[in-house]
Amino acid sequence: MALPSLVFMLGSWAFVLSLTAWSFRRVLKKH
Amino acid sequence: MNQQHSSHEAWGTRIGLILAMAGNAVGLGNFLRFPTQAANNGGGSFMITYFIALLLLGIPLMWIEWGIGRHAGAYRKGHVPGMFATLWKHPAAKYVGVIGLVIPLVVLVYYTYIESWTLAYTFFSITKNYWGITTQAGMSDYLSAYQGVNDPTLTHLGLPFLFFAITLAINIWVVSRGISGGIERLARIGMPILFLFAAVLAVVVLFLPAQPGIGTTAADGLEFIYRPDFSGLGSAGVWLASAGQIFFTLSVGMGTLQAYASYLGKKDDILLSGMATAATNETAEVILGGTIAIPAAVVFFGVTGATQIAASGSFNLGFATMPVVFQQLPLGNVLGFMWFSLLFFAGITSSVAMATPIIAFFREEFKIRRETVAMALGVVVLLFGCLHIRYLGQGFLDEWDYWGGTFGLSLFAVVEVVIFMWIFSPERAWNSIHQGADIQLPRFVKFVMTFVTPAYLIVLFLWWGYSEAWPILTMAQNPEGEPYALDAIPVVMWSRAIMLGMAGVFAFFVWLAWKRNGYDDRAGFEEVNVHTSSKF
Repeated sequence: MALPSLVFMLGSWAFVLSLTAWSFRRVLKKH
Repeated sequence: MNQQHSSHEAWGTRIGLILAMAGNAVGLGNFLRFPTQAANNGGGSFMITYFIALLLLGIPLMWIEWGIGRHAGAYRKGHVPGMFATLWKHPAAKYVGVIGLVIPLVVLVYYTYIESWTLAYTFFSITKNYWGITTQAGMSDYLSAYQGVNDPTLTHLGLPFLFFAITLAINIWVVSRGISGGIERLARIGMPILFLFAAVLAVVVLFLPAQPGIGTTAADGLEFIYRPDFSGLGSAGVWLASAGQIFFTLSVGMGTLQAYASYLGKKDDILLSGMATAATNETAEVILGGTIAIPAAVVFFGVTGATQIAASGSFNLGFATMPVVFQQLPLGNVLGFMWFSLLFFAGITSSVAMATPIIAFFREEFKIRRETVAMALGVVVLLFGCLHIRYLGQGFLDEWDYWGGTFGLSLFAVVEVVIFMWIFSPERAWNSIHQGADIQLPRFVKFVMTFVTPAYLIVLFLWWGYSEAWPILTMAQNPEGEPYALDAIPVVMWSRAIMLGMAGVFAFFVWLAWKRNGYDDRAGFEEVNVHTSSKF
């Protein structure tokens, strides 16, 4: 897999996962 | 002025609410439409425009829809005519809101039918019914034969009807159990299964060995989706495609998120929950949806083959390509079962949401029992569904999918944003969504929600109106981009007339409800004492 594609894939995954983790951590803290 | 304590319902837990909302958003599009759109529109650069659309269009629209629903919930209105009437004190508001009853019904009918294919294929996979058909053309024929497209006689339509009836019965049973006892419980069971099955399939695909004579791996498949083509950033088509994908994947523009949010209390948070819902949908779409079907297609058919598959549409990918792939794998029938089960759960957690605003309308305004409304809705969906089954080959479903599930959604979204952000006023909308909020949004988000999100939507709506809706309306081309077949034209006209008739019937019921309950459009509704769940 070429480096630019890898960067875009991992960047997309990291963005989505961090958004999910951040929001659920806040939700569970309130819960 | 009226109060409807009899229709009082509430979510049981906050996690249950988020799972139900995410279940509403996660649909077939996450696993089939997203990877084909990404691959067809510039790969990595599509992802840049996609995330910009998520931040400027998707998440703000999500908050707007939650805000509309929660605001109307204080007046015990779980349906769009009532919601619009709480925001815009004008006699026309309730009739504009009819769009929020027609669209969910139109989509519910054909979506339940498509969902029934996934149920049928779950069964066909585990029993190895299609085993031995090892080409995509063969599997396309298998799907057409199952649908009875080439010979729509009773003999051939019995099986699709049976699976449709079973799927519909499950849907109706769930919604008749109510918000907490039915929909929330379904989401708490269905969503973890969906994520588990999708994760297992993604891992299996990632470790698929290169096939003799093909030589490509899953990494080549991911490369195919994510390879950045920066020329795409200068193309309006890529920006519109990514905004369209964000729009469809979040299930906005249907009246369903609003209906779910109307069962929240006045002091319940919507901003953080809305964000968690959007994030869950994106995890299902970007990480799982992008890692299963297209990479599997690249392993077994090479990049050229996958390009043709992606161009031929997402249904081919799901129902023709994947069954061929499963037949090459150990325990392929179990993997096929998992694939179609996850699509079924993705579908049913969305279709029960479409039934919700319609049930809310008749319960709240006509005091009809939930079970009775659900049953009556089931009969209506069954009757219209029969037309879809019989006239699938003549494009009956394509028309409803286009006018209800594509054009209608964008029209609805434009209307609701104008009503909430402009007529209700930006200040009141901003204050309303912050009531009970667990997070405080930066002030620039107000600017985004007032100007950028509506601009995005209006551009999308005008673009689609010009490039698709007009040619389809005038029958210059069908929703597939091909000329209408001669024998399809009467069917298409009937399908459109039925949708218009549906709008007329709903407008009549809205008129009757307002007259019967003595509502005063200028005075608005009386606020009722709304629960605030301690579990939130």
